[in-house]
Amino acid sequence: MEKQQAGQQQADGPMRVLVTGGSGLVGRAIERVVKEGEGREGEEWIFLSSKEANLVSAEQTRAAFEKHRPTHVIHLAAMVGGLYRNMRQNLDFWRNNVHINDNVLNMSHEFGVVKVVSCLSTCVFPDKTKYPIDETMMHDGAPHDSNYGYAYAKRMIDVHNRALYQQYGRKYTAVIPTNMFGAHDNFNIEDGHVMPGLIHKTYLAKKEGKPLVVWGSGRALRQFIYSLDLARLFVWVLRNYDEVEPIIVSVSEEEELTVKDAVDAIVEGFGFKGEVIYDTSKSDGQIKKTANNGKLRRYLPDFKFTPFKEAVKETCDWFAANYETART
Amino acid sequence: MDGPMRVLVTGGSGLVGRAIERVVKEGEGREGEEWIFLSSKDANLLSPEETKAVFEKHRPTHVIHLAAMVGGLFRNMRQNLDFWRSNVFINDNVLQAAHDSGVVKVVSCLSTCIFPDKTTYPIDETMIHNGPPHESNFGYAYAKRMIDVQNRAFFQQFNRRYTAVIPTNVFGCHDNFNIEDGHVLPGLIHKTYIAKKEGKPLVVWGSGRPLRQFIYSLDLARLFVWVLREYDEVEPIILSVGEEDELSIKDAADAVVEALEFTGDVIYDTSKADGQFKKTASNAKLRKYLPDFKFTPFREAIKETCDWFVANYDTARK
Repeated sequence: MEKQQAGQQQADGPMRVLVTGGSGLVGRAIERVVKEGEGREGEEWIFLSSKEANLVSAEQTRAAFEKHRPTHVIHLAAMVGGLYRNMRQNLDFWRNNVHINDNVLNMSHEFGVVKVVSCLSTCVFPDKTKYPIDETMMHDGAPHDSNYGYAYAKRMIDVHNRALYQQYGRKYTAVIPTNMFGAHDNFNIEDGHVMPGLIHKTYLAKKEGKPLVVWGSGRALRQFIYSLDLARLFVWVLRNYDEVEPIIVSVSEEEELTVKDAVDAIVEGFGFKGEVIYDTSKSDGQIKKTANNGKLRRYLPDFKFTPFKEAVKETCDWFAANYETART
Repeated sequence: MDGPMRVLVTGGSGLVGRAIERVVKEGEGREGEEWIFLSSKDANLLSPEETKAVFEKHRPTHVIHLAAMVGGLFRNMRQNLDFWRSNVFINDNVLQAAHDSGVVKVVSCLSTCIFPDKTTYPIDETMIHNGPPHESNFGYAYAKRMIDVQNRAFFQQFNRRYTAVIPTNVFGCHDNFNIEDGHVLPGLIHKTYIAKKEGKPLVVWGSGRPLRQFIYSLDLARLFVWVLREYDEVEPIILSVGEEDELSIKDAADAVVEALEFTGDVIYDTSKADGQFKKTASNAKLRKYLPDFKFTPFREAIKETCDWFVANYDTARK
């Protein structure tokens, strides 16, 4: 009975949306798309950063929920970091993330939040798997050894969501983006992801008149999603997606690009004229992590992703204009 | 480590905790060692503050971590959230307090019921994360699996050698004999006891054909003590009788009937679910370490457990 009641709950009046991790890559993108037209009359969007509340603390999380009384939550906050930091600190990644996630989900339930959309990642999927991966395969084996602390903590969001549904009828869900990039990314070359790292390197190579050295052969394949596209999809999921099972949010398999394709787009985006060297003494990482966007396309067959080169150009322009304040 | 062990046993008043207490008193304990058996009355391990306080009070060098929110199939199915949350925090609190206070070794307790639902048999220690657990108890199962994740993370980041054991179906004195909420063997013992007392048939749920590996709590206790002293891996170890010692539910019912000298009818109610037909676990790793360990013969273990239940009927958990 309680399950049915909870499932039928609807917010009265416009949404009040709390976005945790609101100052990050995705949070800033959501803020922008909400301001530029995705927001609706009377809605309130509250973008929380770690300065306002340390979500590892149950008390601080509760205080944030008491203050803002959200009807909906987009949960982006996480302890994140690049490959090398993950490899050294799996315990911190596990513990901090499991506490952040539990605090947010538990407070959401306690405060009667109608809908929570959390953010997972394709890097939490099994290391040994067939491709393309889809939403049903998340728990079918161990994740890659390099970031298992972070990966398991993210997987446990799905477990928590299913348990909340089974016990209380809550329809809290999650999205699974592929490689995200855009303004306000972490452009640190050592600690960031491939796309922002390449952007930063190319910027420096142009400025210093040196060759661009790309780690690996350039042959690895990735599906890149622009943060503004992801933001639009997050807002759609928050409003319309009614499943508990997560949804992969990605360009399609045929739009997979090589790292070399990405490099070429960045070189073009910056007008870099120097030499590009592929350092094959560095690891390529996984050759592919192809994700199936079949479920997304069943819901949104007509959604248009921003063309890749256009998205890269916008991101390069943002980086060049904001070099002094960007996370590098 | 300097000097004798000071061992904190969480969940010390349960089936396995009581068994460890008994084997330590009966010869497994060593000169100067201190064994502290905690129950939930001593500390609510859901609270980080209470957990920390109990570690500061007892200053253990070693921990056997048995405490968990446990329950039968039906309670699990209704309360996956509580089972997930309570267990993940009990485990995090105990492991973190152990680390913070410099505990040398922690041995936690997992279960074969947390293994992938769809898998090949026999299962071994490498297969724990190879697919989702059974839907009925996924909250409890994932929380237990995360002990293994956390142990690996402690080793990778701090070089702690905290590990876990994976018993198969445990039974013995101080079990939970509740027919609805308990496990198969204590449930059968309780039912047979009542059937004999009331002069009624014994009704066994299911066909009697599923296979299980049963481990006597006193054997498990001896192995726990060995793991605490000698086993140096982070990867868990399955503690079980061999695959060849797998028994059917009918075998178990027959042993209980014999032990309680029940002479009435035994009926197999096939309208009830059998559960999983088999959950065979490999004990090859254990046998590599302890090729000569002798498990108590099953019928002898059943007789001891039935005798205990009859003698303690009024105070037993049922």
